[in-house]
Amino acid sequence: MRRTNPRTLASRGLSYLLLSAVALVSLGPILWMVSASFKSPNEILRYPPTIIPENFKWENYQQVFELQPFAQQFLNSVYIMALVAVLTILLSVPAGYALARVRPVAAGVIFLVLLSAMFIPPEATIIPLFQMASTLGWIDTHYPLVIFTAVLTTAPIATFVMRQAFLTLPAEFEEAATIDGATRLRTMLQIYFPLARPSLASVTVLACWYSWNQFLEPLIYVRSPEMLTVPVALTRYEDAFAGPLWGVQMAATTLSVIPVLLVFFFAQRHVVSGLTAGGLKS
Amino acid sequence: MALRTTEVVPAGEHPRARPPARQAARRPARGRDQGRNLFGYALLAPQMVGFLAIGVVALVWVVWLSLNHVNVLAGTQEFVGLANYTRILSDPNMATVLPNTFFFVCVLSIAGTIVALLLALMLNQALRGINIYRSIIFIPALVTMVAWSLVWSFIVQPEGLLDAVLAFLGLDPLPWLRGGWLTLSVFAFIQLTKNVGINVMIFLGALQAVPQELIEAARIDGAGRMRVVRSVVVPQISPAILMVFMLMIVGSFKVFEVVLILTEGGPGVQSSVLSFEIYKQAFKLNDVGYASALSVLLFALILLLTTAIWQVRKRVVFHEAD
Repeated sequence: MRRTNPRTLASRGLSYLLLSAVALVSLGPILWMVSASFKSPNEILRYPPTIIPENFKWENYQQVFELQPFAQQFLNSVYIMALVAVLTILLSVPAGYALARVRPVAAGVIFLVLLSAMFIPPEATIIPLFQMASTLGWIDTHYPLVIFTAVLTTAPIATFVMRQAFLTLPAEFEEAATIDGATRLRTMLQIYFPLARPSLASVTVLACWYSWNQFLEPLIYVRSPEMLTVPVALTRYEDAFAGPLWGVQMAATTLSVIPVLLVFFFAQRHVVSGLTAGGLKS
Repeated sequence: MALRTTEVVPAGEHPRARPPARQAARRPARGRDQGRNLFGYALLAPQMVGFLAIGVVALVWVVWLSLNHVNVLAGTQEFVGLANYTRILSDPNMATVLPNTFFFVCVLSIAGTIVALLLALMLNQALRGINIYRSIIFIPALVTMVAWSLVWSFIVQPEGLLDAVLAFLGLDPLPWLRGGWLTLSVFAFIQLTKNVGINVMIFLGALQAVPQELIEAARIDGAGRMRVVRSVVVPQISPAILMVFMLMIVGSFKVFEVVLILTEGGPGVQSSVLSFEIYKQAFKLNDVGYASALSVLLFALILLLTTAIWQVRKRVVFHEAD
């Protein structure tokens, strides 16, 4: 098999060439962002642009925290993400189990209702949700970012994923447990939930990823800077004349990317399976 | 189960009150059955109650708002029937916004699926260092869309990196963000490169599940590389292709961050899309009734498209007999 004829060699070369071009488009902007985060405003606007900054301007990173409560905003994003993940699991794991294993009479209809929820774009219901939040006094709080997101978006998708997971587990465990005198609740908690752990990890990643990326919702529900989340905060680095502070903005953007990349490199498999779980068919 | 007919009927229970034997075989006895239903509904309740109380109410509410004229500042609301919908038809801006929206739906779903499939096929080869390429192509999917858009706004700005590349090639700078097809293409490119990694991963997973024997059999029958892909691999992964296509259609209606950050829909509404118009009309111009009508239109479009695709799936998608 190690024999290489000229044709496979050429096709390999072509593959590397094309893949490198794609890699440039994927990684290039991120390298550019890091480079710009160290540049002075003058150097950023220089034409033609420089790749390696002339003199590293660390003040950009300092200003990220001075112009906005960025540490607080970062913390907001992290804890909202954690709450969305927890709420998603609490809602979706029992529901997925019910749809796959318990199957009450109307399970089919309920499943269809949840499936349709996956196709309602948040943009289509943002107006009534805003009015709801405003009636409840939830404007400029994090309640809508946690509760609306989990209930309407992440939990329905997660329920779908968990249903698939429980469907693939054998029903014999259930029968065996019943014969041994275990209650339904015990069978579910002690036998099926532990077996579904890989899917649980996927669902957690999915919920975290969705929550961390949210932009429209915090843009609308949140007013004060110290309540903002990272994606919206990134757009608020402006000078007194509402011109963008490119260097500071790129520094903040670089900081926002670091934790995501760290998680990716340490938990690559879970991240990938989590993001693709919804797309895999039964 | 044959014993069922000769079974002794417990005292006090009428024989005909028992369910027919077949049903009894499928479901547990009646008392247990009710417990089962109760247990099932208890597990489903938090999710369903939440979804009905927030999602369904919101959906009904937005339809109601779309039939009203809402004055946010005065706090008044007046029923106007279908006036907001007729306004969509006569709004000259919609003659730009709707085609723009459809442009993204078509380009992102078709190009997004094809590009992801080609990349997955390339990444599925046993090449040295292929894992590095897999990771790199996936990285933009992890970065938030806002960060990705901000970096790109920087690259496509007048006299930015892209213009510098053109100058290096001896070409004149292009008006990347001044509306028209060029701006829409730039947006589509930014959106596509951001999300292509996820679709590549879905396809890679599907490709690795294709039975190797099928491919070898086709090879032995003398099929070339392209032929194997077309006649064996693509039919085998067609469920994944359909899934990605549907995800891309739903996702393509959500082109939003890139519009807000790069052009705010301008000049005029030349680079705007439906989701951005909803945001603008409702939260910038306070025209809640009209924005609600646009929301209903958005939802109806997605429902129509996904249902249509779901309907044709049986003809197109290859299902392995299982």
